[in-house]
Amino acid sequence: MDRKPWIEQIEEIVGPDHILTSDMDRILYGYDASLAKGKADAVVLPGDTDEVSRVMALAHRERIPVIARGSGTNLSGGTVPARGGVVIHLSRMNRILEIDLPNRTATVEPGVITLDLQNRLLRDGFVYAPDPASQKVSTLGGNLGENSGGPHCLKYGVTTNHVLGAEVVLSDGTVMWTGGKTHDSAGYDLTGLLVGSEGTLGVVTCMILRILRAPEAVKTMLAVYDSIEDAGNTVSAVIAEGIVPATLEMMDRVVMQAVEASVQAGYPLDAAAVLIIELDGMVDGMERQAQKIQAICRRHHVREIRTARDDAERAKLWAGRKGAFGAITRLKPSYMVGDGTVPRTRLPGVLKRVLETGEKYGLLIGNVFHAGDGNLHPLILFDERVEGELERVKAASSEILKICAEAGGTISGEHGIGLEKLEEMHFVFSEGDLAVMRQVKKAFDPKGLLNPGKVVP
Amino acid sequence: MNIVQLRKLSYDEVCRCNRCGFCLPSCPVYAVEQRESASPRGRNAITRAVIEGRVGWSRDIERSIFSCLGCGACTAACFPSVGTRDVVMGDRACLAGEGLQPETADRLARSIGKSHNISEEDNEERGDWREILRDVPDDAFEKDAAEVVYFVGCVASFFPMAQKIPVSMSRIMERAGVDFTILAGEERCCGYPLIGAGVPEHVEAHRAHNLRKVQEVGAKAVVFTCPSCYHSWKASYDAEVELLSAPEFLERLIQEKRLPLKELRATVTYHDPCDLGRQSGVFEPPRNVLQAIPGLRLKELPNNRQMSVCCGGGGNVEMVNPELSGRVAQMKIEEIRSTGADMVVSSCQQCLRTMLTRARREKVPLVAKDLTELVMEALEGETS
Ligand SMILES: Cc1cc2nc3c(=O)[nH]c(=O)nc-3n(C[C@H](O)[C@H](O)[C@H](O)COP(=O)(O)OP(=O)(O)OC[C@H]3O[C@@H](n4cnc5c(N)ncnc54)[C@H](O)[C@@H]3O)c2cc1C
Repeated sequence: MDRKPWIEQIEEIVGPDHILTSDMDRILYGYDASLAKGKADAVVLPGDTDEVSRVMALAHRERIPVIARGSGTNLSGGTVPARGGVVIHLSRMNRILEIDLPNRTATVEPGVITLDLQNRLLRDGFVYAPDPASQKVSTLGGNLGENSGGPHCLKYGVTTNHVLGAEVVLSDGTVMWTGGKTHDSAGYDLTGLLVGSEGTLGVVTCMILRILRAPEAVKTMLAVYDSIEDAGNTVSAVIAEGIVPATLEMMDRVVMQAVEASVQAGYPLDAAAVLIIELDGMVDGMERQAQKIQAICRRHHVREIRTARDDAERAKLWAGRKGAFGAITRLKPSYMVGDGTVPRTRLPGVLKRVLETGEKYGLLIGNVFHAGDGNLHPLILFDERVEGELERVKAASSEILKICAEAGGTISGEHGIGLEKLEEMHFVFSEGDLAVMRQVKKAFDPKGLLNPGKVVP
Repeated sequence: MNIVQLRKLSYDEVCRCNRCGFCLPSCPVYAVEQRESASPRGRNAITRAVIEGRVGWSRDIERSIFSCLGCGACTAACFPSVGTRDVVMGDRACLAGEGLQPETADRLARSIGKSHNISEEDNEERGDWREILRDVPDDAFEKDAAEVVYFVGCVASFFPMAQKIPVSMSRIMERAGVDFTILAGEERCCGYPLIGAGVPEHVEAHRAHNLRKVQEVGAKAVVFTCPSCYHSWKASYDAEVELLSAPEFLERLIQEKRLPLKELRATVTYHDPCDLGRQSGVFEPPRNVLQAIPGLRLKELPNNRQMSVCCGGGGNVEMVNPELSGRVAQMKIEEIRSTGADMVVSSCQQCLRTMLTRARREKVPLVAKDLTELVMEALEGETS
């Protein structure tokens, strides 16, 4: 690549050690956990907000696309430089700045790893609730970008319910604050707008998060089923009874096989599906609630219910669930993960149609998902290297999202739109809806430089 | 190695990496460098890109591939269990084939070829550590025939900081009445550093020589205080004798009541060397040995056994990029200090050397001992 003059200017801002321009680095910042690929022009590793601001002001002047990046674990092409540009990798901005217990807030830089904050809080008996399965590697900035969810979001809500304020660098380098330590702020809820905007409206450089007291007690159960439908019906029935467990996760046989080959979580390999049901809260009344749930499970022909006896057993059950996406490549080298959400009552029917779609395209599909939220994650397995397979997979994936949309659901629960779900936006939004979104984007980013080509088709 | 061979060796393996990134937080080099090229996911992606012809070998790639500690923590954290360490060693062989290996790696390979050890010293000096034991003759522990061969390894033979290890080990075996010999000048580098330097094809001569020497002695077992020699023999030597790491051997001697251990009042933490723990599966024997010492308390590190964090001394990184190695060692030292233990015990001369060198440089008080040293102290009833 001919050395662009602006590279030297960035070098002056962040220092020569913190800008990468080699062919190798440009490729390494061209992927994320999705199947999309691109190539960056340069990668910047800024150390503070001021550096981010100066780099963005320069990019604005030079009309260079800017892509914010945490750990690059998103599943929709959100950090793939679709039109080249500068990737801002926020890994160095990884300090927990303040933990304010009386006000129940944590102030962090965006590069902090989700689990690092959670472990730090636990020392004081507090939690940061959103727990994406990728929490040990994902960054809080990335969580904000995707409005990430996780098993416990059934009870506690997704990322947007836990971000109180943010410092954001706008496309021209201006630094502004949205929200703050209070739970309400006047004027437009710009924090809410930023969360889930996938780096298309601004780059967040500091975040104020809401923290909660850790629950007094936790009870984790594994319910084993001989049919997926029974498992699905249990989910709707539990919610219909007005019970909100902390988690209601489901996994089918294909996924359990991959997981068991990775970690011996103790899932029954001959079962059709399992539910991981976790209760948390006060000790009082927990047993009663557990019994109520177990009765519902039995009404829906559960084969067996196991209860984790201690933290080690509980950790094992979760280790399997959290590694499910990764483990799946034990079966086939590539996978595409869907992220459709449907009303819970429609789950059993939709699941059946998902599997039928797999059969129609001759593709193996595994299912692991946040059943309580009706948030499906069909994993379509294949080999990227086999010609034509990717196209077939994309067609099947799109058809599945259509099924979700038709069932009154939507095309993304938590993994975002990025590059990979762009076309499917039309399944759930009219041209008029999309036009409004384009206006919002334009207000923030008139030159169209922030993560271009993403979210809004 | 060339790209065609690399494709055969690594292509399927790297294609199983689905870029989930779960390896990132487990990689000590990524923790220090915080950029994709320093991560296991990045190294897999580079390999894939090279095989697919999307990028050519370069100095940048050399830096990434030769900054891997080979510690295997990534694979332990990887759900599809991608063997990035072997992928990296394949890449190194390719880079060396292109003449793109780092200068230090090349020098190391040439020096091992010439002197048969990693230190550039005359191999005849391999047994010089015996000078520390003033009361023994120059050729002590050398026999024509013995039941056990004690394979000392290059680092413990030549580096003064580590010579306490063979001193302790030989005394312990003497005390337990083990019929053992060392190979002294006839011991040669096990070959492991050659794999790290990108010239695995040079290993064979060393392997054949060492195997022949063990055969000549008629030994039934080879005992190692160096986990890398041990792993190297186990993984690639095809030896027909029993291979035992020092912790396994000490555990056995204790079980056979051949080591009367006296009280040592101390709280220690234990660092699992990568080649002993993750690579060879020896986790419990060193802990059992520690527990057998009366008065000793073991306080585990936050990351132990499979999740143990490398000391920074693996994968030849200490030679190729001492600054990086030192920064990894710093993290390790901080983890050790967080336990509040009086000292860290390990079963590896290289781990001790890396940690102590860093501690000295940064002027942090750190007591680090090899398991053999501690057992020796317990035999003598010294207080530490
Ligand atoms: C195995 C596996 C399991 C997963 N499980 C879950 C799950 O349970 N729930 C879930 O919701 N997701 C899950 N994900 C997806 C992914 O981990 C999440 O989307 C996560 O939040 C991404 O974090 P990251 O740091 O990797 O962000 P990245 O992938 O680096 O970035 C994500 C998006 O945020 C933007 N962004 C990053 N930093 C900033 C910033 N500072 N300011 C503005 N925008 C920014 C990026 O531009 C991009 O659009 C999983 C992924 C994998 C591989």
